[in-house]
Amino acid sequence: MENYIKPPVEKRYADELELLKVTDDGRKPENWQLSPPAVRKFILGGEVRTKDGSVTIKRKFYGNDALVERAIITLAGSRGLMLVGEPGTAKTMLSELLSAACCGCSTNTVQGTAGTTEDMIKYSWNYALLLSKGPCREALVPSPLLIGMEKGIFARFEEITRTPAEIQDSLISVMSDQILSIPELGDDGLVLARPGFNIIGTANTRDKGVNEMSGALKRRFNFETVEPVKDVRLEKEIIIHEAEDLAKSGHIDMPVDTDVAELLAVTYHELREGRTANGTIVEKPAAVMSTAEAVSVYFQALSHAWYYGQRRIDLSVLAQSLLGAVCKESKDDLEKLKGYFKTVSKEKTGEGELWKEYVSASKLLR
Amino acid sequence: MERVRIGVEASEIIDFDAPFFLFPVRHHSPVCSYHLKSVIKRYRPEIILIEGPENANDLIPVLTDERTSLPAAIYYYYKDKKKYISDDAQDYKCYYPFLYSSPEYNAIKAAKELGIKAEFIDLPYSEILINTAKGRGLLENEKRTIADDTKLAKGDFYKALCDKTGIRDFDEFWEKYFEISGLFESDEEFLAALHTYCLISRRQTSTEEMTADATLAREEYMAANISEALKVHKKVLVVTGGFHSYGLYERLKRGGEFKKKKLHIVPADCTGCFPAAYSYEAADAMKGYSSGMRAPFFYDSVYRKLEESAEPDGVYDDLTLEFLIKGAKACKERDIAVSIADVTAAETMKGGLAALRGIRESGLYELFDAVTSTFIKGEKNLSSSVPVELVSKLLTGDGVGHIGDSSHTPPLIADFEAQCTALGLRADTAVPQEVDAALFTTKKGLPLSRFMHRMKFLETGFAKRLKGPDLTSGRDRNRVREIWKYRRSPAVDSALIDHTTDGFTIEEACINLAAKRLLGERRAESAAVITVDCFLMGISVDDDLSLVTNILASDGDFFSVGTALYYFQMLYDLQGIYRYQGVNIVSQINTAFSKLISALPTLSDIPDEQADGVIRIMRQMYDLTGGILTSRRDELFNSLITLTSAGKKHPAVYGCAMGLLYAFDAKYQHNAELAMQGYLNGALSVKKQGADYLRGLFTAARDIVFSDNDFLRMTDKLITNMDSDDFMEILPSLRLAFAAFTPREIQHTAAAVAELYDMENESILDKKAVDEGLFIFGRALDDEIMKAIEGGA
Repeated sequence: MENYIKPPVEKRYADELELLKVTDDGRKPENWQLSPPAVRKFILGGEVRTKDGSVTIKRKFYGNDALVERAIITLAGSRGLMLVGEPGTAKTMLSELLSAACCGCSTNTVQGTAGTTEDMIKYSWNYALLLSKGPCREALVPSPLLIGMEKGIFARFEEITRTPAEIQDSLISVMSDQILSIPELGDDGLVLARPGFNIIGTANTRDKGVNEMSGALKRRFNFETVEPVKDVRLEKEIIIHEAEDLAKSGHIDMPVDTDVAELLAVTYHELREGRTANGTIVEKPAAVMSTAEAVSVYFQALSHAWYYGQRRIDLSVLAQSLLGAVCKESKDDLEKLKGYFKTVSKEKTGEGELWKEYVSASKLLR
Repeated sequence: MERVRIGVEASEIIDFDAPFFLFPVRHHSPVCSYHLKSVIKRYRPEIILIEGPENANDLIPVLTDERTSLPAAIYYYYKDKKKYISDDAQDYKCYYPFLYSSPEYNAIKAAKELGIKAEFIDLPYSEILINTAKGRGLLENEKRTIADDTKLAKGDFYKALCDKTGIRDFDEFWEKYFEISGLFESDEEFLAALHTYCLISRRQTSTEEMTADATLAREEYMAANISEALKVHKKVLVVTGGFHSYGLYERLKRGGEFKKKKLHIVPADCTGCFPAAYSYEAADAMKGYSSGMRAPFFYDSVYRKLEESAEPDGVYDDLTLEFLIKGAKACKERDIAVSIADVTAAETMKGGLAALRGIRESGLYELFDAVTSTFIKGEKNLSSSVPVELVSKLLTGDGVGHIGDSSHTPPLIADFEAQCTALGLRADTAVPQEVDAALFTTKKGLPLSRFMHRMKFLETGFAKRLKGPDLTSGRDRNRVREIWKYRRSPAVDSALIDHTTDGFTIEEACINLAAKRLLGERRAESAAVITVDCFLMGISVDDDLSLVTNILASDGDFFSVGTALYYFQMLYDLQGIYRYQGVNIVSQINTAFSKLISALPTLSDIPDEQADGVIRIMRQMYDLTGGILTSRRDELFNSLITLTSAGKKHPAVYGCAMGLLYAFDAKYQHNAELAMQGYLNGALSVKKQGADYLRGLFTAARDIVFSDNDFLRMTDKLITNMDSDDFMEILPSLRLAFAAFTPREIQHTAAAVAELYDMENESILDKKAVDEGLFIFGRALDDEIMKAIEGGA
């Protein structure tokens, strides 16, 4: 595989997808690449039996397995899937995984912004061709939605609630009738959706500048709320797995320090919950304390150790990276972070040298 | 799971030709009942023995009585007066619930149909408790059902299975692998799987644990009972919790002579059991007492449907759809938009999930998932999750059972019904009723009021007072009637049954409960409130006064004791009219007074916010020495002298003390004046305290103002020597100082002030009074002008 910063899921896990495809003997919804149980296995992990033995499929989404199952069944039906939740809860990743597993394509995406227009959702024109040949199929620039309908694959709509409500509503007729009308093309302007087409939307519930969805549009989706990871052990595991993947793609040949990953997982968990393991109340920062952020903080410290350090993570760099991740929205967050370290300096220093070093490094925060 | 289900060891137990057949159950499980019915048909037992305390054997016919409707339970109680369990001599109680889906109920029912005996074989309830270590088994907090399956949900085995298969909890695991799959298996396959699972769970439980929670003692006893039955009967069917099956099997296989455990001698009035109506809500493992299954009404409906159908096919699919539709209706009733399309999408979802999860039909968890996915529009949070809550409620059920055979009516319910009849209250309807109790003018008034207060004290939810004097808050004390709203709901019966350990009559239960509360009380104020409750209930607790005396003695809070004194004094005043013949209230007043009088001198210097409280209590003490405590006047007087001679004094408390001394002896007017002079001659900050001093003084002895005009002159001097800002600062205290004065006294004071300035009464008024006629004319004129303005616009 060629080297890219972030290859699409279907490329990154091409081997696994292929393996699942050849061993899949389940019933598939029309145009799906895999059966629902195989999609589940691709996302939640499991064993595949081949004639050469058993192959492990890596778990890619951690947390609520039932949510993934519901999402798969939703996509096999007539309603769209809307993944909602706080930022950094892996909604986009889940949406990519589902698209790659079901359709073999995770890049058919509309990115919702305040500037998204109806053209971007439905179709637009190549104006040079439009002027020279008039409205014809050649001059039409199909949107991911249109592509999805024509090919019978999923269209992903990222951050749908960043788009103004009236623009969001342009999806209603498509989702109701599974038809997109292009009046400019006359009799040829009716695009009927092929089986396998569906929409996966993602929306975050915490950022500023989001628009409420209309009731009519809501009715056309099944909603799934993706919660932050609540289990520290799981969070540590995610940090380790993700950091390993990032290190591999960044050619950083350095093992992930699991103790440091645990340190970070505990910090994020306690700050997010507003309570330490001993039950002491700590102030929650205004910033989003997502697992994705924790992974990013860890990878930053890892990169620093690889390029500047002695292949050992410097906890003061980790603390500085943490500061950068936490203190984004409000100045008060710095004080909250300091307050947290003050609390854990009493509670955790008995838990080993690493915590002592970590707490000591936090004194540099300012 | 497949490997587990091979069940090599477990299959040894399943022998339809053997003299005994051990049938393992999970309590309230429809699939267990389904196979049990089939096994009874095939095995044709001569007797059915069931896990359950044997002291309830005579209640078995009550459960299968045609007039009885489920949920019902056997209620057990035990009073540890002999201290077999601990030195605390506590009371214990628990339920053994039965639903239509309960295998135990179906075993009893089948025995009745076959004309064979059914018996409980477990240790008596008291003996189970005695054999249980502290804090374990039935002695765990809140564990109040005998039917306990929690051991099946412990251990690493099922957790590993859950992790591997993505199953969320034990109940989902159970439903998938037993409840639904089991319906499509032969008896042998199902029993082998269940025995295997129970055996694995058992092997993960230590002997220490099984000893501590009395499992082994119970099994020993059950095995002895089975062995006895085997001497008489050729085929014995034993229905027990699956966890016990292997333990019993090993014991019985070992053979030999079983020595039945010698039981402790428990007085007859200390233990017992009787049938009681139960509710689905209490039977819910998620809401009740942490055993049984969640969603009991759902599983009860499954079993009923299984009985109606020839084959189990479609039972779960149909039922989950029914609940989906009911859930949508419930949402509509709450104005939550759930359309037919949503129900259709949910139906597709639950079917799809069942297929994806490899379950033959969609069950409870697929139903919940479908509702979560399709009924909730938007982010899932507390408010948007209402549809899930509503469906959950439907699945739990709100039904309450009924005991048809009244010959076993619990004593408290019998007493309740008798008293309702005597007082003319409707106890035969669940429709709310109202009743009027004229407390002091009719013969029935007080007994009725006392009965209602007793039911209220027992927290039965039977009666609610709409109007009437409230002695605790002091509101509406002038009222002479009480209006009560009452309703006999099933919850009233349940609450009364719960109080069986407190007594066999309502009066006895109230007395014991009040005594228990008093025993646990540390604050005099709260103890006094309990005494007020007893007063209203017309009962006498703490006859030797030791409880309240101890509480008063140990409570170091002056204000708590002061409030207690207030309540005791009130009860003393009212005891004649309420015809109360309870404890000696004067003695309690004396005790509280003694406690206060010793603390009073130490309260000369207290924070501002406590001053009014101290003044109130001082006045109350003074009032008492003018009446029932005349003999203690000197003590109070001396205590006040000590207080006034303290170095640092709060001005208001000081003023009050001086006022009371003046009330004791008029010659103390001079001392009071001197003290005021002291404030007046002090620095500004001291001067300001003069207002507080006056407040305290006038609260205790406002007539001091009228003895001569000295205090008025001093007040005048206080006010006139202050600038505007300082005056505003002391104004609140001054207002309070004169607040207690009657209108006549205020007029009298005003006249005295006018005289001080050689003026007429009228001339010191801020504004002249307006002539009434002129005022009426002016207002009418205003109205006319407003009308003209509005009309003109």
